[in-house]
Amino acid sequence: MSIRFGDQLIAVLPRLRRFARGLTGSAVEADDLVQAACERALARQHQFQEGTRFDSWMFRIVQTIWIDQVRSRDVRKDGGDVAEERMGSDEAVRRVEARLALDEVRRAVGRLAPDQRTALLLVTVDGLSYKETAEIVGVPIGTIMSRLARARIALQLQLETGGGMRRSTDNAEAQ
Amino acid sequence: MQKRSDDRLIAYLDGEVDASARHEIEDWLDSDPAARDKLAALAQSAALVRSAFDEVTHEPLPDRLIAAARGERVSAEPSAKILPFRPGQGTGSAPAARRWWLGLPLAASLFGLLLGGTVTYLSVAKLLPGGIGGKQPAVEMAAADSLWLDNAVGYFKLAASAGDGALVDVPATGDAREAWQKISQSLPQEVRWPDLNLKPWGLNFRGARLVVADGRPAAQLMYTTDNKAIGPLTLIIGSSKEPDTPPTLARRQDVNLLYWRHQGRAYALVGQTDVGYLWGIANDVAWQLDAI
Repeated sequence: MSIRFGDQLIAVLPRLRRFARGLTGSAVEADDLVQAACERALARQHQFQEGTRFDSWMFRIVQTIWIDQVRSRDVRKDGGDVAEERMGSDEAVRRVEARLALDEVRRAVGRLAPDQRTALLLVTVDGLSYKETAEIVGVPIGTIMSRLARARIALQLQLETGGGMRRSTDNAEAQ
Repeated sequence: MQKRSDDRLIAYLDGEVDASARHEIEDWLDSDPAARDKLAALAQSAALVRSAFDEVTHEPLPDRLIAAARGERVSAEPSAKILPFRPGQGTGSAPAARRWWLGLPLAASLFGLLLGGTVTYLSVAKLLPGGIGGKQPAVEMAAADSLWLDNAVGYFKLAASAGDGALVDVPATGDAREAWQKISQSLPQEVRWPDLNLKPWGLNFRGARLVVADGRPAAQLMYTTDNKAIGPLTLIIGSSKEPDTPPTLARRQDVNLLYWRHQGRAYALVGQTDVGYLWGIANDVAWQLDAI
């Protein structure tokens, strides 16, 4: 293995973990997924084309493995890790509420259809372009646009219903 | 004009429309308060989604993923226990003398580590690129550096057990120029200290001193933090005539090291924190000292 390849892989690990966390909804499953992606990337590093984007290649591997997992088993998401926090002050209450709001967002993302979730995480969270996302997922740009639109609308509805956006706005105003 | 739809608003928000479409959408927004509200809500939910997942990128990388990225295997090993520097110890001579007296048995036990180092070459291959039976040059490099690394670990343990403020030639406060000059004069190059009191590390510089690692002078810089996941750290900066090497992980008992050589200097970041933190902190060190 070239050191450069391993270094590139390490450099992109935080983003892969974030992507995987969004896909799986679980910290442990996400790291398992990233580990599997690293192993696959190393086994197939000869397939990576120099001059192309390494991060896109890795996102594609993560996404492919995850889709295989989704198809082969019923992926159950945990309800999120919301640690208990003592409520002794307004600040503590605000922190808990902010955390609950973000946890609600993560759960709402987890309820999206897998293809919508993937588009949302790559575009909205990681900031990739529609074209880059379309190449990673292997579908036309128009498909990414429609998946993304459905994801964003569904997410917004869920958050409005669940109160995540309201709580978040309250927190922003309180700070 | 294309139809007015949520898709268009979202593409506008994502910067995925061309100039003419952007003008059309902005005209629409100017004339339609409901569309403006919709856009604001979409922007807010997008920001929330980013916030919800952003914290993952600030977490330390798990050992197993770093190992996987390097094509290694890491056995399940308990996390290193963090040794705090002894807090609240004064700088008066009597407490210091008492501290040294109490520290003698420990110093004696570290003596072999500092001077010998040959017995404690335990598990370097496990964390090196390629692992056991993997990249031979990396293993050879580690073997060549073994004594220097053993010394670095010994000095870390000594500093961690001696307490905050002890064993310091260059204090963290006050005019330390003269002391730095003395250390620098003992080394082929001037020594600077990186400021690691930044988020998320919050490492406070506690002082530095001149040490001898593998028979050569080196500067040991000491840092502490309230972040219990990181604990005390030391950075050893010495000289080296060997070729440059990329950052490499090694381990001595319950201590992790990240070491590298660059332009005539050898560096070792030493602590009992996860290697993910070490990588992140080493990046800051390298950036500030232009060390890698």
